[in-house]
Amino acid sequence: MLENYFPVLLFICVGLAVGVVPMVLGKLAAPNRPDDAKLSPYECGFEAFEDARMKFDVRYYLVAILFILFDLEIAFLFPWAVVLKEIGMFGFVSMMIFLAILVVGFVYEWMKGALEWE
Amino acid sequence: MNVESLVFYVFAALMIFAGLRVITARNPVHSAMFLVLAFCSASGIWMLLEAEFLSITLVLVYVGAVMVLFLFVVMMLDINLDQLREGFWRWFPFGAALALVMVGEMVYVLGNRKTAATEGLVRHAADYSNIKELGRLIYTDYVYPFEIAAVVLLVAMVAAIALTLRRRIGVKSQNPGKQVLVKKADRLRIVPVAAEKSGSDRAA
Repeated sequence: MLENYFPVLLFICVGLAVGVVPMVLGKLAAPNRPDDAKLSPYECGFEAFEDARMKFDVRYYLVAILFILFDLEIAFLFPWAVVLKEIGMFGFVSMMIFLAILVVGFVYEWMKGALEWE
Repeated sequence: MNVESLVFYVFAALMIFAGLRVITARNPVHSAMFLVLAFCSASGIWMLLEAEFLSITLVLVYVGAVMVLFLFVVMMLDINLDQLREGFWRWFPFGAALALVMVGEMVYVLGNRKTAATEGLVRHAADYSNIKELGRLIYTDYVYPFEIAAVVLLVAMVAAIALTLRRRIGVKSQNPGKQVLVKKADRLRIVPVAAEKSGSDRAA
């Protein structure tokens, strides 16, 4: 079975090479004469105004976590869709119960207004 | 050494390196990025175990979604590293004890003949489908844990909303639905005004 994934391995190798080779070449071939002014951090030509890290609105976190939950739900749908004919009515009903439970959560977040940005 | 073991050792070495960097990197964003690398190598190892669905799900869900959340949290907490490192030696015995317990568990699982997979992996043919194998089991034999998973997801959803949803007061926003549905009568009021005499009006 693994031979099917050989192209993926090849792709990873080529991708790594595409990323690493230019960096190594740049290190080896390019002239490198740093001084204080060149190495100092700046932002649009000015000195940096503030720390790059800042507080995000917590609502981004809510959107991300809701995305993860539905992402997982979708992940459960893939094997189900592949074998739906084999597992028959029982498998179908079990997935419908699964979806129904999650729809409760979906309705809850919709009614709560968690999907609204304001 | 065949190609498979070579690939395994590369992925395993990468994972150990990434795992070490996760805990040693000074910048928490770098730590999160090395965690991504660790997930990717773990996915490679799972693929070598012919768990193709799990391997791809690991990349999709963990690298694609969970790490985004990790980065959000790293950003949101506005971590001050010097403060974080302050209690290192105070908590060191606790952490060391925890690590020892983990190592003990691993040794127990791997060293025990009953729990360790000693007979080796059975390699499958090219047309073998791991996702079908999984699908046949999850929705029939393991239907109860499967529904429990749904409930766990539901709990997570409700908890996330309850913890982070804040109604802001005094936010002015448009509601396009209401804007479209508005009628002439809602906005425009025609006031009957008695007509005045035109002659006297002009004279004044």
